[in-house]
Amino acid sequence: MRAWVAQISLSLVAVVIGVLLVGQLRSQARPLELSSLSAQELSTLVESLRVRNVDLGDGLADLREQIREYELRDVDGQSNLAIGEEDLERISAFAGLRAVRGQGIEMEIEGSFDPQAVNDLIYELRNSGADAIAVNDIRITARSVAVLGTGAIEIDGVPIGRSFTITAIGSPDGLEAALQRPGGILVLLQQSIEARFVITKSQELEVPATERDLAPQAARAVE
Amino acid sequence: MTRRLPPRRRLSRRGWAVSVAVGLGLIGFVGAAQWNSSLARQQVITSAQGVLVRQAEQLQREQEQLRAELAEAEERVQSFQERDEGSQSAQQRLNAELAEARLIAGLTDVIGPGLVIEIADSQRQVPVGEPQANYLVLVDDLRDIIGALWASGAEAITISGSLAENAPAERLVANSSIQGVGAAILVNTAPLVPPYRIEAVGPAGLHDRFLSHPTYLARVARRVEAYGLQFASEARDELTLNEFVGTTRLRWGVPVREE
Repeated sequence: MRAWVAQISLSLVAVVIGVLLVGQLRSQARPLELSSLSAQELSTLVESLRVRNVDLGDGLADLREQIREYELRDVDGQSNLAIGEEDLERISAFAGLRAVRGQGIEMEIEGSFDPQAVNDLIYELRNSGADAIAVNDIRITARSVAVLGTGAIEIDGVPIGRSFTITAIGSPDGLEAALQRPGGILVLLQQSIEARFVITKSQELEVPATERDLAPQAARAVE
Repeated sequence: MTRRLPPRRRLSRRGWAVSVAVGLGLIGFVGAAQWNSSLARQQVITSAQGVLVRQAEQLQREQEQLRAELAEAEERVQSFQERDEGSQSAQQRLNAELAEARLIAGLTDVIGPGLVIEIADSQRQVPVGEPQANYLVLVDDLRDIIGALWASGAEAITISGSLAENAPAERLVANSSIQGVGAAILVNTAPLVPPYRIEAVGPAGLHDRFLSHPTYLARVARRVEAYGLQFASEARDELTLNEFVGTTRLRWGVPVREE
């Protein structure tokens, strides 16, 4: 009888230990909630979300303006072709099918880069809100990625060489500040590889359209 | 006939007592650790970080609302564009060009063959003195996977793993950002947490090309092997990827008109 009591007690103890261990392990696992981020990380997140929401709000206002124009033309019995053409230009420029002109930065780069470093630079510009990016004359589209080709880094099948230029349409001050911030991409690259960067801000830059055929072969639009 | 108890009976009792004592000691230790970590978390939440957390949650809700309204507005614009007015042939040509541009830009849901990848943090215990980051999915891992997929011929990619339940996957477009913020990774500035699910549509053989691509093999495959990051991939005959929901307007430039 005593042996039974002892066994049950020990079983209960084991269960309690198990429950507590699971709880402890879970609390040591990677935090998945916002509350587990540091104040600095939260500030970055809040700032990113705020910028994005302003951008989305502006985009929504543009679309509503477009809808109003369509409605007015409907009432007047006018053709909608002109608005549609504008929409086509905007979407084509966004996708990289059309050249984009505007302010931004030009970055002359020289160094012993690997493809990841080039991709990191492109992502840094995207993260900083660049509207359009080109490496030399290669327009960066969603599908463009730097890879190691036959002895040289290639983007969209075009070698870029040891010295190359990145052009980005965007806020000149914002892009420059993001690239040059302490602990930022340029500092990291200069520490890890032999590289030289010269950034020039400009009010008038042009990024070309892609020369790549982006028409999908396997993906079809859902009807 | 009676059975005699074995002679180790008394020793066994002592053994029980020791076991229970060790068990109770463990409960005390683990319980204290649990209590301490709960206290620490409580302190964090009640501090100034709480304000930032609430701000972030509020902004996330606003973003979801904005995205829903954008999707609705885009749909209305498309419905206007699809009407046959003015010169019918000009309208048809324009609609065909718009449909093609939308497809390439990522503004259309797409369907096709492809693959699904899931990657999550390692479940191994982090050895003392080793950086915890080695055992977590990092922003570089996602970028390498995405890079390897594009380089292997993918035509459309989405990433999901949102903090918000039922949030749509983030479709990657020309200006998509992927950046790390602490435990979260922002994709198109939507905060995502692991496990990350990446879906890609592309021509036949995409899965095999991806798994043998140097961009995947160079870092991700090694980290999966070395640190036990959870990784799984599977080819699919048919996948449907949702469209990009966001703004496509240029803020700092204008499209150059074709001559």
